[in-house]
Amino acid sequence: MPEVVLRMEHIVKEFPGVKALDNVNFEARAGEILALVGENGAGKSTLMKVLGGVWPYPTYRGDIFIKGERRRFYNTSEAEESGVAIIYQEFNLIPELTVAENIFLDRQPTNRLGAIDWQKLNSDTQALLDELGIGDLKPADQVKHITVGKQQMVEIAKALSKRAGILVLDEPTSALTDKEVADLFRIIRKLKQDGVCMCYISHKMEEIKEIADRVVVLRDGQTIGDVTPIADIGLDQIIARMVGRDIKDMFPRSARQRGEKILEVRNLELDHPDIPSEKRVKKASFSAYRGEILGLAGLMGSGRTELVSAIFGAFPQATHGEVLIEGTRVEIRSPLDAIEHGIALLTEDRKALGLFMGQSVAFNTTIASLQTISSRLGVIDAGRERALVAKYVAELGVKTPGIDAMVGTLSGGNQQKVILGRWLNAHPKIFILDEPTRGIDIGAKVEIYKLLDRLAGEGVAVIIISSELPEVLGMSDRILVMREGAIAAEFARETATREAIMEVATGARRTGE
Amino acid sequence: MMRQNQALQFVKANATLIALVALTLALALADPTFHTARNLSNVARQVTIVGIIAVGMTMVILIAGIDLSVGSVVGVAAVVVTLLMQYGLTAWIAVPVTLVMVGGVIGLWNGFWIARYHIPPFIITLGMLTIARGVALTLSGGSSVPVADPSFANLGGGYIPPLPTLVILAISAVLYVTVLVRRLGDGRKSGGRGNAASGVVAGSGFALAVYVFGSGDGLPVPVAIFVIIAAAAIFVLGHTRFGRRLYALGGNEEAARLSGINVSRTKVIVYVIVSLLAALSGILLASRLNGASPNLGTMFELDAIAAVVIGGTSLAGGSGTIGGTIIGALIIGVLNNGMSLLGVSSFYQLIIKGLIISLAVWFDVLQKKK
Repeated sequence: MPEVVLRMEHIVKEFPGVKALDNVNFEARAGEILALVGENGAGKSTLMKVLGGVWPYPTYRGDIFIKGERRRFYNTSEAEESGVAIIYQEFNLIPELTVAENIFLDRQPTNRLGAIDWQKLNSDTQALLDELGIGDLKPADQVKHITVGKQQMVEIAKALSKRAGILVLDEPTSALTDKEVADLFRIIRKLKQDGVCMCYISHKMEEIKEIADRVVVLRDGQTIGDVTPIADIGLDQIIARMVGRDIKDMFPRSARQRGEKILEVRNLELDHPDIPSEKRVKKASFSAYRGEILGLAGLMGSGRTELVSAIFGAFPQATHGEVLIEGTRVEIRSPLDAIEHGIALLTEDRKALGLFMGQSVAFNTTIASLQTISSRLGVIDAGRERALVAKYVAELGVKTPGIDAMVGTLSGGNQQKVILGRWLNAHPKIFILDEPTRGIDIGAKVEIYKLLDRLAGEGVAVIIISSELPEVLGMSDRILVMREGAIAAEFARETATREAIMEVATGARRTGE
Repeated sequence: MMRQNQALQFVKANATLIALVALTLALALADPTFHTARNLSNVARQVTIVGIIAVGMTMVILIAGIDLSVGSVVGVAAVVVTLLMQYGLTAWIAVPVTLVMVGGVIGLWNGFWIARYHIPPFIITLGMLTIARGVALTLSGGSSVPVADPSFANLGGGYIPPLPTLVILAISAVLYVTVLVRRLGDGRKSGGRGNAASGVVAGSGFALAVYVFGSGDGLPVPVAIFVIIAAAAIFVLGHTRFGRRLYALGGNEEAARLSGINVSRTKVIVYVIVSLLAALSGILLASRLNGASPNLGTMFELDAIAAVVIGGTSLAGGSGTIGGTIIGALIIGVLNNGMSLLGVSSFYQLIIKGLIISLAVWFDVLQKKK
């Protein structure tokens, strides 16, 4: 049995008022992929920050052993020197620099004069890329011009160039296409053979089943059960450990009744922002109905986000085509127009496009519908606002110290609930949700599914974009599949299968255009 | 332990106010003339000119913008209002015409380029700084313009006599207490301690106002105008949809747009407001000086920005208060006055002012880090 290279014992990390980690114990071996799973807020990221020296000794209690030796990291570079490399969800790459410059940032080989030896820099990088089997990446490529998946590879190459023996990957696939995921897995498997110990943090159960050797579950800052070989444990058992309860009926489905047509989109096109001859959305036509959940599937970059953003009036200059609401043609020149026509859009990127991080839960809840809490002259009724926000906090089960708490201090799932509250208060007739459950824990996911089911039951037309096929299949009454900016196929709930959708989405099967 | 923490929290949250009080007390001890009603009244009047601009600047900085042209707007407005009176208009007509023609037009110009063509505010208002100064010099022919309508002097130099002032203060105090009581009645637990603290601050403020303006000449008109503008701005930022939109816009412009906020219109309104206030400030200054020089208001933009920043408004946008800006303006005003009284050379005054601005920003950064 391979050597235990990482052991964390009785790790406790407290923040004012919260015990983020409360006695964490686990070990990982050389040449293994250990999956670290848990709901958001379970303490995974905090744990990795302790390991990486971001939370230095002695801000935590407990012991870290690297190859059997007790180590105390006072800063991140000490952790790095011990061979610990952490790849965070948000990459630490500099977009303006090349792949090679990023990999050897601040460690560039120099010549005798102290200037950077570009030739050696690029050849070292090429050697590293070859070793990893990343053929199509050039050392001189600028990072801002390569895909997110490639950027991830650069991060990995960077970690390995520092001779990391322990590699932590935090949700590495959350922004990758299926093909990029396959590439990533190939590299991870290769590193495993080379004896690198990897801690793989993920929400995606299927991935864990595919890639991990053993799994350890974190809940409320504690390790639940022992490190367990993946072959000996079922997904349902992992989930049960994560949530502390059984999840039945992951996708609720009350008796929904499809009502009249409420939204019709005819030949919608969206210009490419940079290339005049290109279209981001090509002649998209579809309809949505009251009381129905319409799923929008497709690969990353297939134009789903662009399609719904265009309908929402986010790119008025670049959008062409017709939108009809309740049979009447409408001009939507801005998100404000869209909202006034009863459309709500929950955006994909919570942080950049949704939240006001420095503001309270109340502020974030009411910002899109201030008229519901103010007089005609625009004076806000504080009492009414507080009552309204308190209602949504209770209804959606937002876990927050209070409605005055900064939204930035909440977990991802609770932030998402705050934005859901924002749009519920706008009382939309058409509710579009772009990746509503990305990066949030299973408990909160199920609550969101229930809410969407209820809204559809109440006669709202719900349109949901998701990259997780089980989610689309489980929630939708009808599924549109997009490919390369066009709607490539439509499936009824009964006939939709994962395989059929993937075939259309990837272009493996051509359908009538 | 707990109590100590709370005390520390209180000090941190109100650091600029505490600094202002400490500064005032120190000057009162150091110089016997500082705390006379006459001197303090003078300080108040001096603060209003930049203070009025700083109120508008707070809104601009709140939406992550900046307006460098305000100082030049002061100059143009002063020249235009005095020229209009030269042409025979009475003060009552010249003042509103100047506000619209100078403040309104320049604000629209700035706002239009920023909102419609996404020109960085720094650049477009830097351009306007030069343009407006050039306009002031051109219109005035480079020399001072005297005031033709004698009634104009009352605006910047007049006083509300002590007795009416005391009545106004009493009414304001009653109004304030009513609002406070109603707020407590709303049952906002979290605000209890804060309300008590702000009650103490307001009480001291009223007492000081009675001392400074309740005797002698009374309440200077520009101070009254400043108080009304500041109170209106506090209300707008804290209690209206428009105020919410500013915080949203400054915090996350894209999210604000996607939440249905008309970003362009809001921006234009904000730049018009700041220009209007700068024009008003120029009019008051011309009135007090009984004439306009085309160089009036030079560098006022920096004093206004300094007041806003010392008052804790983040240059990144999205957070800040008018109350903080008023404190910031008062710190600058008290400091200027105190240093002059103590005979500190004006060269040193510049150095000290600069250091204090740097210190304020450093403190702000420290707090954010925590």
